[in-house]
Amino acid sequence: MTGPAIEIDGLSKRFGDVTAVDSVDLTVESGEIFGFLGPNGAGKSTTINLLLDFVRPTSGSASMLGLDVSKDRETLHSRIGVVPENYGLYDRLSGRRHVELAAKLKDADDDPDELLDRVGLSQEDANRAAGDYSTGMSQRLALAMALVGAPDLLILDEPTSGLDPNGARELRDIIRAENDRGVTVFFSSHILEQVEAVADRVGIMNEGELVAIDSIGRLRRQLDTGAQVILDVDRKLERNLGDIPNVRDIDVDDETVRGTCVEPAAKLRFIDRVRELTTVTDVRIEESSLEDLFASYTGEDTTDSQTETVVPGGVA
Amino acid sequence: MSVRTIARKDLADASRSKALWAVTLIVLLSTAGITTLLAVTSDMPAGEVFSLSFQLGGTMLPIVALVLAKGAITAERESGSLRVLLSLPPSRRDVLVGKLLGRTALMLVATLISGFVTGFVVLTILGGTFGLLAAFIGFLGLMGVAFVAIGVGISAGSSSDSRATAVAVGAYMILVALWNLIQSAIQYGAVELGLMTEGSAPAWMKLVGLFPPNRAARAAYRNTVGGQLFGTDPFASVWLPVLVLLAWILVPVTIGYLRLRDAQIG
Repeated sequence: MTGPAIEIDGLSKRFGDVTAVDSVDLTVESGEIFGFLGPNGAGKSTTINLLLDFVRPTSGSASMLGLDVSKDRETLHSRIGVVPENYGLYDRLSGRRHVELAAKLKDADDDPDELLDRVGLSQEDANRAAGDYSTGMSQRLALAMALVGAPDLLILDEPTSGLDPNGARELRDIIRAENDRGVTVFFSSHILEQVEAVADRVGIMNEGELVAIDSIGRLRRQLDTGAQVILDVDRKLERNLGDIPNVRDIDVDDETVRGTCVEPAAKLRFIDRVRELTTVTDVRIEESSLEDLFASYTGEDTTDSQTETVVPGGVA
Repeated sequence: MSVRTIARKDLADASRSKALWAVTLIVLLSTAGITTLLAVTSDMPAGEVFSLSFQLGGTMLPIVALVLAKGAITAERESGSLRVLLSLPPSRRDVLVGKLLGRTALMLVATLISGFVTGFVVLTILGGTFGLLAAFIGFLGLMGVAFVAIGVGISAGSSSDSRATAVAVGAYMILVALWNLIQSAIQYGAVELGLMTEGSAPAWMKLVGLFPPNRAARAAYRNTVGGQLFGTDPFASVWLPVLVLLAWILVPVTIGYLRLRDAQIG
């Protein structure tokens, strides 16, 4: 395939006074796995709703597989697979019936049982009404429906919600397998590890704007967050450490010395300098987490959630 | 293709709803029951019993049709299954037309069963022609379809199921329960304003009387049985009430479609 899988051009959507999506430009190349990140209310879902023609833009345009998302939606939707956000199933129809429905509507001749097996639903599950399904099973069924007709592009809105870790891993395997087949995958998530594990590139949305697009590795480098080196020392430093190239935020107290090393070689320089002045009893290195990266773009403080205190007697 | 698949899916899904069948059964049994009572206890001819039964059906069937139809789109919108359907190739129009066909088929099945049961009872006890029965069932069916179309139109134009329910109840109150009162009020107002003289019946006033689908269907039935298929007076004809019924099938669905077309499926 040639040409971009998704092309978004100056896309904006206002709901009254609220600007949900603010002139977003984004190109996702064919064959990519693209992770779409952002906190709740950042405009991820509205962007996907615009791509699916559920909502019409205030201005700008978008196309997928070279087809306009609104004008060519029927042709387009027969070539893409979608797990929309807040999707619903037909409680009274069986799992197999759902896949058959998708196949008929897409004019595809997939074997429903084969697809259901692929997403981990047994024959027995397939015969049950979807109303009896757990959240995880519903998610699997929705994915099976999306895979109908060998789509060229998969759009998955929060596909891991409701899946246990095992299910999330199986989903990643399916995403990779589809990608190997040449399928472009565009998926949104607020769970960063999920995105990091499979995505080639990520886009981060915040307050309706696309604030960053790049590979996670490059984003991390761009951010210059570095690694924090924590040294346990047996006595307090008597002299100031002074300036060390590429080491910043040096913090000294009675038992530890901390510094943020922007490049790898700076770590050794930092340790050497400290050892000139005192005895180092332990070395710990903390890589900047994806949460830090995310927070730096979205202005969200994630440290609170990490050091959450447990309420005695358990959480109600 | 899409339309037919959606209609069939809707029929399969809706026909599995026990609540729907329970309501339908209660209404149909009571209609057939009251008719039987009439046929057994009174000495009216079959045509007259059918006419009274039609009036009864004209009060009961609209509520069945509206209950059956008002959730056609809104229920899918609230459950999120509409998002699944619209992620697939069908357009909003395909979904609406498919839903309309599915619910219409369901309503027709219910009407046919009730019509045949009632008709069988009347014909067995009182005798009468099958032509009478055909007109009875045919126009009852057309009326049912009109109310299904009103319900589906309301559903397509509403953003939530509770709103669709409220509008459907309102439509029933105005068109069925309160139309006598509304007609009198219009008549009184028109006389007061000097638009017509008391006791006269201008054409537009007759049209007011024919306006609700149940009134139109009853007129069509009466006029068919009265043998005035090709009369010169439109109000004694079959074509005018049938035209009114067709308008009730088309107009609400079209308005509903225009609203659904521009809606945010968020």
